[in-house]
Amino acid sequence: MTSTWISRMIIFITLTFLIGPFFIIVAAGLSAGDFLAFPPKGLSLKWYIKVFEVESFRESFALSMFLAVFGTITALVLGVPAAYALSRYNIPYGETIKTVVAAPIIVPGIIVGLALLRYLVVPLNLTITLALFLAHTALVLPYAVRVVSSSLNNLRSDMEEAAVLLGCSRIGAFIRVVLPNIQSGVLAAFILGFVTSFNQVPVSLFLSGPGVRTLPIDMLSYMEITYDPSVAALSALLALMSVIIIFVAEKFLGFSRYV
Amino acid sequence: MKYLIALSMVLHLTTGAAQAAEKKLTISVYAFAQDAFKKVLYDPFEKICGCDLVIETGNSVERMAKIEANAAKPVVDMAVMSSHDALALARKGLLQSLDVSKIPSHADLYKSAQNPIGDNMAVGYGFYATSIVYRSDLVQIDSWADLLSDKVKGRVALPNITGTQGPLALHMLSKALGHEGMDFTKTIDAIGDKKDDIVTFYGRSSQLAQLMLQEEVIAAPVGRFAWSRFSGAALPFKWAEPKEGQTGGMNVMLMTKGNGNEELAYQFMDYWLSNEVQTRIAVMKLDSPANSTVVVSPEIAESLTYGAELINSLSMLDSGAIIDNRDAWVERWNEKVLN
Amino acid sequence: MFQNRNEGLALALPAAVFTALLFLLPVGILLSEPFQVDGQWSIQGYIDFAFKPLNQVVFLRTLKLGFLVAFTSAIIGYACAFCIINLDGKHRGRVFGMVMLPLMISPVARTYAWIVILGRTGIVNDTIIGLGLSDTPIRLLFTETAVFLGLLQLFLPLMIISLVSSMENLPKDAVSAARVLGANWFQVFMRIILPLTKDGLVLGGTLVFTGSLTAYITPAVLGGSKVLMLETLLYQRVNVANDFVSAGIIATILILMSFGANILLKRVAGTRS
Repeated sequence: MTSTWISRMIIFITLTFLIGPFFIIVAAGLSAGDFLAFPPKGLSLKWYIKVFEVESFRESFALSMFLAVFGTITALVLGVPAAYALSRYNIPYGETIKTVVAAPIIVPGIIVGLALLRYLVVPLNLTITLALFLAHTALVLPYAVRVVSSSLNNLRSDMEEAAVLLGCSRIGAFIRVVLPNIQSGVLAAFILGFVTSFNQVPVSLFLSGPGVRTLPIDMLSYMEITYDPSVAALSALLALMSVIIIFVAEKFLGFSRYV
Repeated sequence: MKYLIALSMVLHLTTGAAQAAEKKLTISVYAFAQDAFKKVLYDPFEKICGCDLVIETGNSVERMAKIEANAAKPVVDMAVMSSHDALALARKGLLQSLDVSKIPSHADLYKSAQNPIGDNMAVGYGFYATSIVYRSDLVQIDSWADLLSDKVKGRVALPNITGTQGPLALHMLSKALGHEGMDFTKTIDAIGDKKDDIVTFYGRSSQLAQLMLQEEVIAAPVGRFAWSRFSGAALPFKWAEPKEGQTGGMNVMLMTKGNGNEELAYQFMDYWLSNEVQTRIAVMKLDSPANSTVVVSPEIAESLTYGAELINSLSMLDSGAIIDNRDAWVERWNEKVLN
Repeated sequence: MFQNRNEGLALALPAAVFTALLFLLPVGILLSEPFQVDGQWSIQGYIDFAFKPLNQVVFLRTLKLGFLVAFTSAIIGYACAFCIINLDGKHRGRVFGMVMLPLMISPVARTYAWIVILGRTGIVNDTIIGLGLSDTPIRLLFTETAVFLGLLQLFLPLMIISLVSSMENLPKDAVSAARVLGANWFQVFMRIILPLTKDGLVLGGTLVFTGSLTAYITPAVLGGSKVLMLETLLYQRVNVANDFVSAGIIATILILMSFGANILLKRVAGTRS
């Protein structure tokens, strides 16, 4: 049928536009030459190997992972109850709370970075890691609340009510009925939050301090000074890591069903 | 298991306080070539002083903002900046005057590096020249005015006014076009007239390098510290010697006020400025020496800004003038060039 | 719906308080600074800002690009989302993963890939010259077109995801039924698809528009200082004169624009939140 063919073409063209750059980055990282070029002049794995050798990349990678994982978990711990409350109850100031929690997405990063540095970190004398952790959690929270809310809205509440009627405690009903059904939503929120935190630049830029830097910041300063294909190699590896995460998630939880 | 994770998290978050115990010096530097500096400067120093060096890098704006934000209790003990950035910090009262008797190597420095911004607030540790890099197979550059000529129309880039190189380029262009005065108004207007012929106003020298290697640009003013990227490249590049001369700048060391770690900071500064270390740095082509007693082979000198003659010939801009006039320059630039 | 409102409030408060204290408060203080001129509250700063021609140009350009990107991504997004919906489950998951992929690549790297693609010696120019459309390479970098393409690629996935989400619940037969009854694609879109996917469009539109307004790396690298947007102008004010007052003004304008866009979209779509 022609419409299937057209359908496939549309998807193909769009995907090429979206992912083309990814292949370019992978290929540029394989270049044997000394600067970013595509098609690469000669092939070599030396830049990919170099990525693992740069010590600061290793340290900043660890920090970024830490922030992404624990920040997102904390955001979920705060956000899931909030999402639940917003969709199941008609709470006072509901709209206000929704707006407050969604705010971090709208404010430009550099303003957030400076504001936090000047009025939070310095007055309270927070350690850099703690400051980054709090900032990342706040930045991920809106995604957690929004995505989980969306999932909850699609879940009818009568199942919970039925469970409670049949003798289950409220918390029991939540754990037994609600959680399993919003699993994919929570997972999607986790992935979205993880990626947001991991790739976050402007706020981390201001809050980073001596010896404590997130990976994107490290990459940026490395790129600004060195400009060799190792950055392309690093980006390719990171993207690959994310692809694997999504792939595994899809396999185990089939979250394409959710989104 | 969960308990362990929670515990490690708490420990990780609060270890900031614990580290204060050992001897430690915190420095704020340019991100450039940190691996190399580690070999020739940081590691040897750590062995000598038996202390830990904590390095902060980044671009100058963020580093300055952090120094200012932490003024009451400085995190950074010693930093390196361009001379006008250092002057800006000094004017805000964030620096302490250096006791040069604690820096024996000080006497060996070129005169212009000894007290570059006044009141001994800073000391120069490296020079760089700024001229025009161009594709010798496509064009010949003999004057700063060539930047606005038809020769390079549509293939030329200039540094953004907001960077360090911007005012330097304006300074030399003014000379070439015969415009007097530090307000650069006529020069900025001239650039504004030609703005469609200019590919971009680059921010970082690495960005420019990529553009030149990609053949977007065939000529642009740039600092000598970026020269290694061009000299070894596959395309033929040359460093111009324009008839108006070259310009340049100096990077300086400074110490934050009241950091409580002055002893160690002085020791480090003296070490960095010593003949031994400055020679190592020069040989690795990282920076051009401010210590006049350093001697290098002509081959190495070729890649650096080396020698009293060259340094004294550079037409540098006074730091105070830069700070005082920059707002007006940007204002005019925004109006005439970016509009 | 559960009745105990206070219980609900207690569940939602930790998140709200966390954000309010750690985020809104510091940002609010910073943004209030431009309102204080000589110790008094005034909007003089804003007035001065609005009168400078460069600021006007930048503001309009940002608005224009924001709309263009949102509009284009909506069109492409709908086409793509519709096609994805019609795929079977296994393929759908894979295509979906691939759509999400650009979001995983660091924005820094993505933008540099564009530099290579759009350069004088890059693929686009090679194709143009190869097809004989031009004798010399066209300058694509550091133009509004480059920024547009960069932003589109950055935010299209968000639009597609939002639209697919809301399209999932389209009654499968509605479209084919309408087609059988003689409706052309335009009518199908306007009468069936659009009304039922309003939520997705509003969410996607807001994300894309807001994202385009506040994007930094993409406009900075692909547009350079010749194509300034509000966010890159903000950075310039900070970098040069430590002018946080102007920066605060720009930030507040950006926030207002985002809010405005969200409210407007909701009105147009006629949705409840």
